[in-house]
Amino acid sequence: MKVSLTINGEERALSCEPHESLRAVLRREGFFSVRFGAETGETGADAVLLDGRLVSTEIMLAAQAAGHEIETIDSINLPRGLHPIQEAFVDAGAIQSGYSTPAAILAAKALIDTNPNPTEAEVRDALSGILDRETGYLRPVQAVLRAAAVMRGEQHGKVEPALVEPMVAPGGAPDMKAVHSPLDLDPLAPRVVPSPEVPETNVVGKPERKVDAVKLAKGNPAFVDDFEMRGMLFAKMLYSPHAHARIVSIDDSKARALPGVRAVLHHGNVARVRYASGGQSYPNPLPYDQVSFDNKVRHVGDRVAVVAADTIEIAEEAVSLIEVEYDVLPAVFDENEAISGSAPVIHDEPDMEGAHDAERNIVQHIEAEVGDFAAGLAAADRVFERTFRVHQVQQAPIEPHIAIAWLDSDERLVIRTSTQVPFHVRRMVAPLLGLPVRDIRIVKPRIGGGFGVKQEMLIEDIVGHLALATGRPVRLELNRAEEFVSSRTRHPQTITFTTGVKNDGMLVAQRMRTVGNTGPYGTHALTVQMVSGLRGLSTYNCPNKKFDCDVAYTNTPVAGAYRGYGAPQALFALESHMEDIAAELGMDSLEFRRKNWTKVGDPLDVAAELGEGAAEMKFIPVVTSSGMDECVVQGQRAVGWHRRNDPAWVQPADRPNIRRGLGFAMCMHGSAISGLDMGGASLKINDDGSFNLLIGATDLGTGADTILAQMAAEVLGVPTEDVVVYAADTDMTPFDVGAYASSTTYVSGMAVKKSADEVARQIRTRAAIMLDVETPGDIELKEQAAFAPDGRSVALAEVALHSLHQDDQHQIMGTASYVAPDSPPPYAAQFAEVEVDIETGQVTVENLVMAVDCGVPINPLTSAGQVEGGMVQALGYGHCEEMALDETGTMVNARFGPYKIYRSDEMPKIEAYLVQTMEKSGPFGAKAIAEIPKDGVAPAIRNAIFNATGTQIDNLPFTPERVWRALHAT
Amino acid sequence: MKTISVYHRPDSLDEAVLLLERPGVTTTLIAGGTTLNTVALPPKTEVVDIQDVVTATAARQGDRVVYGAMLRLADLIAADETPPLLAELAKREGPNTLRNAATIGGTVAEGDSESELLSGLLVHDARVSISGHDDPIPLPELFADWSLLDRSVILSVSVAIGGETASARTGRTPADTSIVAAAGRVVGGGLNVAVSGVAATPILVDPSDLSTLQPPADFRGSSEYRREIAEVLVTRVVAQLGGAS
Repeated sequence: MKVSLTINGEERALSCEPHESLRAVLRREGFFSVRFGAETGETGADAVLLDGRLVSTEIMLAAQAAGHEIETIDSINLPRGLHPIQEAFVDAGAIQSGYSTPAAILAAKALIDTNPNPTEAEVRDALSGILDRETGYLRPVQAVLRAAAVMRGEQHGKVEPALVEPMVAPGGAPDMKAVHSPLDLDPLAPRVVPSPEVPETNVVGKPERKVDAVKLAKGNPAFVDDFEMRGMLFAKMLYSPHAHARIVSIDDSKARALPGVRAVLHHGNVARVRYASGGQSYPNPLPYDQVSFDNKVRHVGDRVAVVAADTIEIAEEAVSLIEVEYDVLPAVFDENEAISGSAPVIHDEPDMEGAHDAERNIVQHIEAEVGDFAAGLAAADRVFERTFRVHQVQQAPIEPHIAIAWLDSDERLVIRTSTQVPFHVRRMVAPLLGLPVRDIRIVKPRIGGGFGVKQEMLIEDIVGHLALATGRPVRLELNRAEEFVSSRTRHPQTITFTTGVKNDGMLVAQRMRTVGNTGPYGTHALTVQMVSGLRGLSTYNCPNKKFDCDVAYTNTPVAGAYRGYGAPQALFALESHMEDIAAELGMDSLEFRRKNWTKVGDPLDVAAELGEGAAEMKFIPVVTSSGMDECVVQGQRAVGWHRRNDPAWVQPADRPNIRRGLGFAMCMHGSAISGLDMGGASLKINDDGSFNLLIGATDLGTGADTILAQMAAEVLGVPTEDVVVYAADTDMTPFDVGAYASSTTYVSGMAVKKSADEVARQIRTRAAIMLDVETPGDIELKEQAAFAPDGRSVALAEVALHSLHQDDQHQIMGTASYVAPDSPPPYAAQFAEVEVDIETGQVTVENLVMAVDCGVPINPLTSAGQVEGGMVQALGYGHCEEMALDETGTMVNARFGPYKIYRSDEMPKIEAYLVQTMEKSGPFGAKAIAEIPKDGVAPAIRNAIFNATGTQIDNLPFTPERVWRALHAT
Repeated sequence: MKTISVYHRPDSLDEAVLLLERPGVTTTLIAGGTTLNTVALPPKTEVVDIQDVVTATAARQGDRVVYGAMLRLADLIAADETPPLLAELAKREGPNTLRNAATIGGTVAEGDSESELLSGLLVHDARVSISGHDDPIPLPELFADWSLLDRSVILSVSVAIGGETASARTGRTPADTSIVAAAGRVVGGGLNVAVSGVAATPILVDPSDLSTLQPPADFRGSSEYRREIAEVLVTRVVAQLGGAS
């Protein structure tokens, strides 16, 4: 049918099918900024203005839009430069992955067009239809207010950090008067608590614009799907409707007979090659319990078959025509039941490799001990034990998994994919496809969020198989329901802490017993649980520690990597347990922790026993930097901690059903996997004195490309924009393990710094010739030039031209890699304020404050964004997100809304403090920041509920009925 | 949406009704269309889009406000005529992308059990004008007999104005779809109380007798919990309205 409508002021007559969504038709017409987020429209990544109002195009038929006026981001895009709203988003640090940024900017435009002076509440309402999994909404909301002000003619300067005075003197006690004097700071200003140990820098430590901000603000084609290939086929998966079943037969004849179907693949026609799908270093940790297609299914949503066809509609119809006969088997979903010895055996295939005890569904068994736990417990004055259960949640990046594969002119396989680990994917997919690594190229464009779920070789083998089978480009994108049940999730765990304490509050023995639930495949099963043990038993000093862990196979959706990687689970249990012990001992909860938490010089002894790189660890690491004391007092002041002991505040007289509470959790994480994670960088000079930085690191929206460019710029004496970043492409860039384990700043950053040091050395050598300076080391690089000690200089452009064209020609370039010998822990203090309705169990989170010691934040703007966004993800984990499975193992809420993630118009106040320390092993003093914001929110909320009501709740999340039942039980 | 085979946009109500009345043809009527992707439509479904047929106005008529069924929720919220409780509860139907597309007629036709707006309409004595019926249908009667909508078009929804109103709710987060919610209105000495999340649709209840409720359970709230919370919320609403019952 023909549809006439106006798009960005131009009348258009478009052809479409009656069933087609407006999003599908707009994308076909080249409006790539209108992006897929969910087939039911809740993400708003697909939003445009229809007659001036923001609407979801996924749930609107194109035909419905006939006669109406559509505006996409292109309506405000300028050929070179940015609209004021786009400028404000860039300046405010409101863009992370940028996947939904065009929609958010359109939301802002619709608001400001009708309301030039909106309130914050009106802005939050205007953005309520754009789900943001990354920023925590603080910066987008402030960006809209800023844009409105600019458009009213008010001037705004650059967003600068708010420098907050430290309150803890070195080696001294905190200034309690300052702790009780709240600050009034611009919400947009990143709060930085400076350290005198940190040297002055020009680019590092500054709130630089993201290097990819312009293309993201303008919605330029940048993501996997923003790319078209002639003759491309569309793939659709057939997934299991059963939690556990053998496939007796597959009849694909009707599917194959459907016109337009080009391939149907399943276990009957794809080679059986075992693998582990976790994107990890070689050799991938055992078990190898997956194949591309199996003759057995082990969870609802497991792979059965795939179709490639000329259109997605044909592929979907073909999938419905595949006839599968199943022999349905009993299933098990609970991790403790699964390893009881009487549960159905999930992996009974003879070629299974590497499970600890497959007959008992035990994937891994891990034990580690430091000191003598039993003796330590015997020597304790008091012993405490408590069991906690943490649940299953999904990473839910707004861009789901998507990959496009094709054979290039050399007949090499190219896979353009939304991945955190391009180099691991290349190595891992090769044997499955029967290709040598040399014949595979993985391209990672911009990524619309990952959070660990894309640290996986999840669909690349499928598109690879199909491209090889058909000889044509093939695209596979998971829809939202598939993303929930057929990708990866966070491991549920049952965790029991047993702790022996002396009467003075010192820990003498601590054991963590964990049963992890990996679902039916053991991807990341070993390492997530090891990190749980590491975080659970490293945070506090204790001479006798023990970790004892089983990882269970079950028939739930598969667990894997999720930002935090075992730490959020462990720290929920640990920090709840520590709160309870303090209460039992009658000690102040902060003081009890302070007595025991690890400080500079303390050994992280259990790290030598646990962790992916443990085998390489030749020494016991010690804490080399910690701002924990400062973090705590900054957080105390910001949250108003003193109120927790005021009965009139806890129980407001005018609201009899409300109790208020404040909670704390300590957080400690790592910076990379020591001895294992490696990053590489290559840097070369161009004719004009600019540089190309080629890196294998993968920016998921975190700002990694930007901070790596800042590091290179700092060394080379140039502004950030003189460093042009390209990442990541296995043909073009050096190896990097990818974005995980909080490694990019610390490891890839050091690789960049080393490559920049080498380039700087070569520049100095060349400049010394040009300036006739005897010792190149005397040359200083600054202001885009090389300066002799006497003040004479040559511009880097002159150095480049001289080197590339004029004399003894030479490409100034440097390549370096770095593997971290250490993993210095960032520390953080997490505070939460809640209100509990004691009659309904409803918990309302009012305020979250996190003060983080991440060493030196390379970019305070992006660092603050990491903390704010991470806290909000963690809020979902603790408060409202859960994958609900029915008795058949089917997820009943595989849709945003029922699977509840926070919207802009319901947010608590959030605030992040960046407490500087100088971590000498890190690039420019940096440690990691990406994951630690995930660690403390759930226990801080739990402890706040305890403060408010006296009730201890040991299961997540804190949804109304769970809290109501706990309140009733007490 | 994938099974939609034909799209119709009739110019008149008669044409729309004729399209709906064709024997042997599966049709789905859409207003905002926001729930099209949330249900599995039968194969070869023909869509009848009533955007050019039904009005989208809000107008005061005596002691009632009449909303054209195509009125978007965003416009209902913004309309001066809209009673404050309905503006507040309409905002709770979803984020702005949804409120900019979803309509009052579509909201009524969906009859979502957990819709707070529908509870608000119930206490505001809502009546629904439907093609083929001379008189407006009280909303509870429509909820009791969905066949009234067979091959018919909702034309308008009217509500009584005035009175004191109150509402209360419980959800996982402040903007979450409520698990249970209650709304109340006192006018002329009479009290209307409605509850969402305790039956197949929101229902009017007798505040003094909630023991017979048998709420459907889901992962967010068991039947027992929903019943207990309905008691709590109804009590709060009645208290806010001065204890009338």
